Amino acid sequence: MSADSLTANLTRFRYRLAQFPEAVALISFLIVALIFSFSAEHFLTSVAISNILSFGSVQGLIVIGVAILMIAGEFDLSVGSIFAVASFVWALSMNAGLAPLPAMLFALLVSATLGLINGLIVVRTGIPSFIATLGTMLAYRGIARGIGGGDFAKYTESTPFLFTFLNGSLTKLNVLFTPVANFRLSILWFVLVAVLMSFLLRRTRFGNWVFATGGNPGAALAQGVPVRRVKLLAFTLTGLLTGLASVMQFAHRTSVDPLRGEGWELIAVAASVIGGVHLTGGVGSVVGPVIGILLLQMLEQGLVLMGVSVQIFRAVAGAILMLSVILNTYLSRSD
Amino acid sequence: MSMSGNGGDTPVVYMEDIVKRFGTITALDGVDFTVNQREVVGLLGDNGAGKSTLIKVLTGVHTPTKGQIYFEGQKVDIPSPQVARALGIETCYQDLALIPLMSVTRNFFLGREVTRGFGPVTWLDMPEMDQQAREALKDIGIHLRSPREKVGKLSGGERQSIAIGRARYFGAKLLILDEPTSALSVGETHKVLTYTLNAKERGLSVIFISHNVGHVYQVADRFTIIRRGHLVGNYTRDEVTENDIADLITGEREK
Repeated sequence: MSADSLTANLTRFRYRLAQFPEAVALISFLIVALIFSFSAEHFLTSVAISNILSFGSVQGLIVIGVAILMIAGEFDLSVGSIFAVASFVWALSMNAGLAPLPAMLFALLVSATLGLINGLIVVRTGIPSFIATLGTMLAYRGIARGIGGGDFAKYTESTPFLFTFLNGSLTKLNVLFTPVANFRLSILWFVLVAVLMSFLLRRTRFGNWVFATGGNPGAALAQGVPVRRVKLLAFTLTGLLTGLASVMQFAHRTSVDPLRGEGWELIAVAASVIGGVHLTGGVGSVVGPVIGILLLQMLEQGLVLMGVSVQIFRAVAGAILMLSVILNTYLSRSD
Repeated sequence: MSMSGNGGDTPVVYMEDIVKRFGTITALDGVDFTVNQREVVGLLGDNGAGKSTLIKVLTGVHTPTKGQIYFEGQKVDIPSPQVARALGIETCYQDLALIPLMSVTRNFFLGREVTRGFGPVTWLDMPEMDQQAREALKDIGIHLRSPREKVGKLSGGERQSIAIGRARYFGAKLLILDEPTSALSVGETHKVLTYTLNAKERGLSVIFISHNVGHVYQVADRFTIIRRGHLVGNYTRDEVTENDIADLITGEREK
């Protein structure tokens, strides 16, 4: 009797949790944070937290794009390569004499165009985006290596205001902490973009169409949703957000190497899936994947602080990924 | 080919000599098809007979290789589903009607969202849409727990009725029901058939596509039967029995 009512309550709780695709990410995040606060000595310090946020913000911009695209039912494995191309384009055009701002706009335009090309290949040929963007991942990486001559590209002039504006150190805030923290402006832009994109996804017509396109493209088309255009826009948006992440990172580091961004495409997919985005499309949010990427960043920083070899990071990240998917599947089960 | 259904009005739809080829395969080979005002037409045929190709031509999913379409007497081109919809042709596909992972309201208004905003910045007016969806569905006798509920949690009959209610709400003139009763229980089927007749009462014309002759027979005024891309014939309900129709579909008996 009481066992039955307990089961019934559990089921009801599960249904309620299933309403929020980000629930699992949030729970995992809190558990991992809790573990680290007990086991890693310097975890709850301003340095660690500001590092997680500053680094997470750059990757987070990519994750938002990838997540929206996944909700629309498509993948983009080329974001890591677009990330490299954007920084090279920006660096090389500035070195060629273009002012920082127009050079940056050019880099963003290139990123958006590379995203659009991904979209056009997928929409026009009908091949799975997994394969199409696997191809462009290699091709765009080749472009990054090609234009960079296989070498680093650096910006060696004195720091322009644009760099500070994009990703300057929040010095006045940082010195309030001992030891000095590492909060950067990228955090602010990231929060702004996340809020905007969350609004776009949940409260606009385009967002509604993204869910419909990923949830059941045939039905969406039958209801007059321009499915192909939605996909093209989502691919372009992903390229643009990746470009934005790239210029933000370059504004901080002022150099880029040919391997920049490699492997990030899978980190972005992992963060999205941990954040409750379905691989099959139609389900997800912006908030979940944002928590997902912060969780992965926290994991990396936390393990370092625990003195665990950074090589272990991928193993733990993989385990969390699988656990999250299993939990999400359990929650969205319909019985 | 008989063009006179009930009344002498202009047919809602008249498709003339429709041919559709996919490469070397001829899916439709010169089919004529008519739906009159306030008429329920049962479109019948075996798997691969060309029923769904004909409907896809009518709804703008496929462009015909040859042939004309007249909507309310006007010759029209239907190059996309949006155009079909703008004309007042609504399709309720079995699997393509609704998106299970989205709420009733979001499904109800999909592609025709109510928005508010300033200039180019617009956002969804969810409270307004929730209320309108709830009332529109209540109007044809569908009571929902919440319009925010995911469609996937509803029963098959409830889903069909939402699609029908949506079509009616948006002023459809022609409603296409594609296999609306397959995979439904007896009670649910009964509901869907009732909604179909309700829709007709309120002035809609309906194309009812089904494998189940029994279900079509309960609601259709006229039956159009096609086989292997050809029109077999048009029959009113008093001309044929259920068994006759079954025989005509399989080709065991010619007219």
